[in-house]
Amino acid sequence: MLRFPAVGRALAGLAPSHSARVQSRAASNMVEVFVDGKPVEVEPGTTVLQACEKVGMQIPRFCYHERLSVAGNCRMCLVEIEKVPKPVAACAMPVMKGWNILTNSEKTRKAREGVMEFLLANHPLDCPICDQGGECDLQDQSMQFGSDRSRFSESKRAVEDKNIGPLIKTIMTRCIQCTRCVRFASEIAGVEDLGTTGRGNNLQIGTYVEKMFMSELSGNVIDICPVGALTSKPYAFTARPWETRKTESIDVLDAVGSNIVVSTRGGEVMRVMPRLNEDVNEEWISDKTRFAYDGLKRQRLTQPMVKDASGQLTATSWEDALTRVAGALQGAQGSEVAAIVGGMVDAESLVALKDLLNRLNSDSLCTEELFPMDGAGTDLRSNYLLNTRIAGIEDCDVLLLVGTNPRYEAPLFNARIRKSWLHNELHVGLVGRQVDLSYTYDHLGEETSVLQELASGTHPFWEVLSTAKRPVVVVGSSALQRPDGGAILAAVSALAQKARSSSGVEEGWKVLNVLHRVASQVAALDLGYKAGVEAIRSNPPKVLYLLGADAGCITRADLPKDSLIIYQGHHGDVGAPMADIVLPGAAYTEKNATYVNTEGRSQQTRVAVTAPGAAREDWQVIRAVSELAGVMLPYDTVDEVRSRLAQVSPNLTRYDDVEGANYFKQANELAAAVNQTLLATPLIPPQLTAKDFYMTDSISRSSQTMAKCVKAITEGAAAVDEPSIC
Amino acid sequence: MASSAATRTAAGAAKVVKPIFSRDLDEAKRRVRELYRAWYREVPNTLALFQLDIGHRQAKDKVREMFDKNKHITDPRVIDMLVIKGKMELEETIKVWKQKTHIMRYFHETENQRPADFLSRFYQGHDP
Amino acid sequence: MAEYVNIVRRALGQLGGHGGVRGFLVQLFRANDVKTGALIGVDKYGNKYYEDSKNYFFGRHRWVLYTTQMNGKNTMWEVDGSMVPAEWHRWLHCMTDDPPTTHPPVPRKFLAETHQFNVSGTAQQYVPFSTTTKKIHEWVPPKAQ
Repeated sequence: MLRFPAVGRALAGLAPSHSARVQSRAASNMVEVFVDGKPVEVEPGTTVLQACEKVGMQIPRFCYHERLSVAGNCRMCLVEIEKVPKPVAACAMPVMKGWNILTNSEKTRKAREGVMEFLLANHPLDCPICDQGGECDLQDQSMQFGSDRSRFSESKRAVEDKNIGPLIKTIMTRCIQCTRCVRFASEIAGVEDLGTTGRGNNLQIGTYVEKMFMSELSGNVIDICPVGALTSKPYAFTARPWETRKTESIDVLDAVGSNIVVSTRGGEVMRVMPRLNEDVNEEWISDKTRFAYDGLKRQRLTQPMVKDASGQLTATSWEDALTRVAGALQGAQGSEVAAIVGGMVDAESLVALKDLLNRLNSDSLCTEELFPMDGAGTDLRSNYLLNTRIAGIEDCDVLLLVGTNPRYEAPLFNARIRKSWLHNELHVGLVGRQVDLSYTYDHLGEETSVLQELASGTHPFWEVLSTAKRPVVVVGSSALQRPDGGAILAAVSALAQKARSSSGVEEGWKVLNVLHRVASQVAALDLGYKAGVEAIRSNPPKVLYLLGADAGCITRADLPKDSLIIYQGHHGDVGAPMADIVLPGAAYTEKNATYVNTEGRSQQTRVAVTAPGAAREDWQVIRAVSELAGVMLPYDTVDEVRSRLAQVSPNLTRYDDVEGANYFKQANELAAAVNQTLLATPLIPPQLTAKDFYMTDSISRSSQTMAKCVKAITEGAAAVDEPSIC
Repeated sequence: MASSAATRTAAGAAKVVKPIFSRDLDEAKRRVRELYRAWYREVPNTLALFQLDIGHRQAKDKVREMFDKNKHITDPRVIDMLVIKGKMELEETIKVWKQKTHIMRYFHETENQRPADFLSRFYQGHDP
Repeated sequence: MAEYVNIVRRALGQLGGHGGVRGFLVQLFRANDVKTGALIGVDKYGNKYYEDSKNYFFGRHRWVLYTTQMNGKNTMWEVDGSMVPAEWHRWLHCMTDDPPTTHPPVPRKFLAETHQFNVSGTAQQYVPFSTTTKKIHEWVPPKAQ
C-alpha cells in the first residue's frame, strides 16, 4: 500500500463504508472542533480550554482549576473563535461542532494583553520580596502574554491583610480575585469560611469577620493561589523555589500515605508540597503533612545515649551503645526479649527487627496500635485493610462510618468522601460521636447497639444500606481498640456481608474497610507483628526494644525493676526518656524506606536530607546490633533488605501497587466464632475536633507550627499573631 | 579493495595480530628495560626538581614497584601499550607538566582505605 | 676629633646612664636597647617616655620604657605595646609634638579611666561566634532525679 500511493488512494476511494462509519460515530457522540486548524474530537460539553488541552495547547488562566468549579472571572483565557464576534472565555464556553479555536491569533493576543494589563493595574510590583516569586502564575504569564511596557501612572489599590491563622500568610494587595481559594474552601475543604465582599475594584477576599480559616486542608490554598496573596507563614522569607532540591517522597504522619515533594536546601527541609497521585491524595495534602516539617528539626536524637551510674542519659559513641545493646540481647534469650514498634516505622526496619528477634528465639513483636486478634484477626489481610481503596469511595453510593472521624484521622480520605458526596450524591451514615465531617450525614447514634440493630435490619438506616448498589462500611481503627474490639469487628463484618448480599454487587466490590491512623500498621501486620502490647504487659520481658514507640503504651511501671529498655527512633518524645539506651534513627525524610498505607499500597520515601548527627537509618542500626550480638542478619544493603521483604510479603516491594485481599466470607465466618459481647460504652473516636488533629505523633508534637495551630484554635488566631515583616 | 581482501585472508589463515612496536616478547622486554632505565636515571632529577621529601632509595623502590605490578603480563601488545603509557608519564614528569601532588599520588600517602564491611561503614558515616 | 669624643661620651653615658651594671643589663634585656635621652614624662602607671631628636633620626627619637607593674600584672618581662595609654600614644607615634605633660588631654567620657591591655592572644580574647540558628535542635535528656 505504502509503496504504491496511487493504488492506496484508489483502494481508499473504493472503500467508502469505513470512513462513513467513522463519520457516523463522530456525529453520534463526539464533537469535532479545530484548534488552530488542527482537528480534535471531544465529547459534547467539553469546554474550549479542555479541547485545547487535548491537543497540547495550554491556554493561560488564573481562575480556572480543573478540580474546582468554573468561575470565569479572570478573563485570562479569552480566545478568538472563528466567526464568533467577540473573544470567549475558554474555561467556561462549551465547544460547538466545527468551531475553529484560534489560540494565537492577533485578536487573542490583544485580548490577553489587555486582561493582563488590567490585572497588573492593581498588582503590587513587589516580586523581589514576594514568596511566590519563581512559581507565580502571574509572573510567568505576564512574561509570556503581557505587554512589554506599562501605561499606568495612577496609584494602586491597597487592601488590608487578614490574619487567617498561623499557617497562611495573606498579602491581600497582591490578590487578583480569582476566587480559587473561596471555591476550594467551599467545595473541597467544605468550610464556608472564605468569601468575597464588595464589588468591582473594591472586591476583597476574606473571612467576613476576623476569624481563622478553620480547615484541616487549609494549606492547599497556598498551592492553588496563582499569585502571592496566600503564602505559607512558616516558609515566609526562608527559601526560593529555584534554590531548593525537590525529593519525591511519602508522608507518614497519617495512614493515607500522601505523596509529597520535600523541598530541601543545605541539608534542611524547607517545605513540603503535595505530589499528584490520583489514587491517594489527588493534589491535596493535609495541614499536618504540609506544616509539621519543623518538627523534624527539633527534639531530635542525634547521638547514641546510655544511662550512666546516676541514671542520667549521656551521649556516647555508636561502638559503646551497640556493644551494650548486643550484650543485653545476648544475656537474655528467648522470650525475655520483646519489641514494640511505633507508628512511623518503615517496613525495612520492621523486617530487620523481626529477623533479629526471631534469631534470638523470641517472637514477642508487637505494634503499639491495637487490633483485635480474635476470629481471623490479622491472619486474613482483608480484615485490616481499606479494601475499597481511597479512590473507590467515588464509586460507592452508600457509606457507613463506624467509630471514626475521618476528617481528622485521614483528612484526604474525608476529602474523597466529600467529593463523592458533592458530585455523586453519596449517602453517608455515621455510628459514633456526632462530629463535623464537612458534609451532611445520617447520625445513627453512638451506641454499639446500633450495629446490632443494623445487622438485624430493625434500624431505619438499614433501608438505605440494603438498597445500596455499592455499599461501603468503614470502621475506624480506634473503634477496634476497645476491649470489645473483636465483637465490633465481628458485628461490622457481619453487617458488611449482609449489605453485600442485599446489594447484589459484583464479586470484586469490597464492602468492609478499616481506616488506620498510623503509617506503619499495615506493613507491621503484613510482616506478622502482633497488634497491641497486651502480650508484653502480661509477660514482662527483661530487654524491651522500642522501635519508634512513642505512644506510651508501656511504661517503666509495667516492667520489672531490672529490665533494660532500648529506644531507637528519631525524636526524644515519650519513648526516649524512659529508655536505658537510646539509638538515634532517621525520620521519614532521611531514609529510603517502604511504607504501606491503609489501603495496602506500598510506597517509598526517598532520602531528602541526611540524618542529623550520628543518626543512622533504622534497619542499619538493627543490622549492626545483630552483628555485634552474634546473630548476623544476612543483608548489607537496602536492596538486600527489600529482597528479604519480598520473601516475607511480596506485596511490600510492589511499589505503587495495591495488593487486594478478598477473604471476607471466611473472615466473617471466623469472626462469628468470637465470643465477645459488645459493651454499652459509646463509640467515640479519639480525635473529635480540629484541636486533636494537629499533634498526634512524635514529629508533630515537636513542631512549633502545630503547637501554634492548637493555640490558635483554643485562644483565637490573634494569640499566635506575629508582627509581619512586610 | 584488493589489499583489504588480502589482509583478511592473511588474518584468517594465520591469526597474526598486528604488533604495536614489538614483534616478540624479547623485544617488548627490551623496551621495558629501556623505560625502566630512563625512569631510574630520572629519579634524582625528579626529587630535586619537585623538591620531594622522600629518599632516593624510596623513590627507586617505588619505580621498581610500579614496574613489578605488571610483571605477570606476557602479551607484547599489552606490554607495548604500558610502555607507551609509562613514557607519557615520564615525559610529563621530566617536563614538569605534573606537579608535586601528582608525583606524590604514586605513594598514596593521603588516601584512606574505604571500609568494606558493614559494621565499619556503619561506624564511619551515613553512607560511605 | 670632636665627633669621636662625642661618640665616646655618648657611649659612656649609655653604659652608665641606667644605674650601674645591673641597671644596664636590665635595660638591655628588657628593651634590647640602652639609648639615653631626655625624660619627657611619666604616666600614672609608671611608663617613662623619652625623647632624643638630636642624635636619632625621626621614628626612633621617641621611646618608652615600660613600667614593671601595670593593672596588677607583672610586666617586668612581658611588655606589650598596648600598655601605652591613649594620651601618650599620640605623642609617642608623632601624631603631635605636644606631650600630655604640657598639654593635658581634654577629658572625654569615652576615654578610659584605667587603660586596658590588649587581650588578643590571651584567654580573655574576643572569639567570634556563629550567629546563624542551629538547623537541628537535638533532644536534651531530662535530668535524672
